[in-house]
Amino acid sequence: MVSRAAAAVRTRPRREREQEVLVWPDLVFIEFISALIFSIALMVLSAMVNAPLLNRADPDTTPNPSKAPWYFLNLQELLLHMEPAWAGVIVPTIALVLLAAIPYWDRDQEGQGVWFGTKFAGRLAIFGFTAATLITSLLIIWDGSLHVVWTENIIRGLGLNSDFSWPGGLDWFRNLRGFDTGIPWDSLGFTIGGFTMFADWRAIPLGIPGTTTDPWLLNLNFPSFLSQQIIPVATMVGLPVLFVLFCKALGWIHTRRDIALLIFSAFIGVYLTTTIVGTAFRGQGQDLKPPWDIVVLEE
Amino acid sequence: MANLERAPRKSFNDLIYDLIFKNYVWQSIFRTGYPNTPRNQMLAVATNVFLHLHPTRIHRTHVKITHTYCLGGLSFFMFLGLTVTGVLLMFYYVPSVERAYQDIQALEANVRFGQLLRNMHRWMAHAMIILVLLHMMRVFYTGAYKPPREFNWVVGVVLFILTLLLSFTGYLLPWDQLAFWAITVGTTMVGSAPVLGDESKFLLLGGFSVGSNALIRFYTLHVIGLPLVISIFLAVHFWRVRRDGGLARPL
Ligand code: HEM
Repeated sequence: MVSRAAAAVRTRPRREREQEVLVWPDLVFIEFISALIFSIALMVLSAMVNAPLLNRADPDTTPNPSKAPWYFLNLQELLLHMEPAWAGVIVPTIALVLLAAIPYWDRDQEGQGVWFGTKFAGRLAIFGFTAATLITSLLIIWDGSLHVVWTENIIRGLGLNSDFSWPGGLDWFRNLRGFDTGIPWDSLGFTIGGFTMFADWRAIPLGIPGTTTDPWLLNLNFPSFLSQQIIPVATMVGLPVLFVLFCKALGWIHTRRDIALLIFSAFIGVYLTTTIVGTAFRGQGQDLKPPWDIVVLEE
Repeated sequence: MANLERAPRKSFNDLIYDLIFKNYVWQSIFRTGYPNTPRNQMLAVATNVFLHLHPTRIHRTHVKITHTYCLGGLSFFMFLGLTVTGVLLMFYYVPSVERAYQDIQALEANVRFGQLLRNMHRWMAHAMIILVLLHMMRVFYTGAYKPPREFNWVVGVVLFILTLLLSFTGYLLPWDQLAFWAITVGTTMVGSAPVLGDESKFLLLGGFSVGSNALIRFYTLHVIGLPLVISIFLAVHFWRVRRDGGLARPL
């Protein structure tokens, strides 16, 4: 029985002295040059573009839109599509834990030390990244109800029906909230046995009365729970699973490394898309806007 | 015979060279001349306090730019640059609600190269985040997290979080509208955590909203707390790269 650490040492690649070069000058030179290039580039950038400085902070004047620093705008973007606790805290925590856990799950030492070490690595990366980018964009468009606006404009524009508007029967498909507000939940209650259990979907009693002061523990608003928690979470879990099944069916996935490649690339796609949308496409009231239409108002 | 010939006269260049590099003071600092034999070159790396982060030799595939694109090194270089510009900024900046904004304005208007200094610090901070993310991607796509480097990947994830926190704490310091509201939005997100949300937010801000307590907390974390912590993790990170046998390469 060899311990894991010992096994790791045992399988470490052999040193091949004749394949080695001296750090001085070979590496030190490269480091020096890249540092120099970066210093110059940053100097030039800093000489040309000034760091922003707006008016003095004023707690009474809220800019609209108010935005976090750009590297948190992916989270602020999530905030628009789900319960804040998920978007701001739970999702990033889980994402970071999963990220850190990759090496403990994908332990096979094959394919390390070279770019895209498995047969289908390139395809998996490109597919994961592109598909995730596309789907994320579509979901954002849908939750921003742009499909409603576009459908209305197209049907009116073609002269098919000059005062067409999104049919009330499809209100539930306007956006994510539609699952909450666009469905006649109140008429869907039912009774089990003697209990009028779900008589009101909007206040399913959960907590034990008197044991907690937190009202959200006491009553569960099912429609809102569905649209703000169940659907977003099911999407975030379900889509990656679908990605894996799809690529498996294509015969692209053979090892855990392949799954990691696919999901990591998809993650990068989502990360980038949400960051870009949050930074450049959110205007007043966090409405979707093209970048050139975004003005910040102080209110 | 040859011994009898006069030594060739030193050229002007050699004279200058000797004047600079062969004088008593220079040689007290750098004990040897330019290391021009392999043995001396290895010694130069092994005995120099800065260079000895490196091994003396590395595998030839790892000096190819396209293997690492220097991304880890450049992330670290940004950290060093931010430390230097940050220390300079501290000369001009007082973290109080009354003075912070004014100090930044004065830095831009009255201090020679003040605006440039601030710009450098700002753009380097952004660059560092991007470089760290790219570095993470290069490590991932080269499969360099695999055993025995699992733990160094985890250290890397911690470094990424610390990098974001450093940037976030710095964001508040200019005390302008951008800073104030970005931190308000950011800390509100923290406050929405299902457990201890309000408590963490209170701890971070030293109050219920962004004010003078928050400013002094962010400042202290930004200029000393987080830099110390990240330095420790950086040391572990670099040490582990060495201990794990240099960069990953195929079995
Ligand atoms: C402040 C941030 C960081 C700095 C300054 C840094 C610096 C470095 C440096 C200089 C190297 C040597 C090779 C290279 O340049 O690519 C390296 C390697 C490595 N880094 Fe980082 N790093 C940082 C963040 C991260 C992150 C976020 C991760 C992953 C999540 C990570 C994981 C690794 C691993 C696994 C190696 C070994 C790579 C190999 O064996 O090929 N590092 N790091």
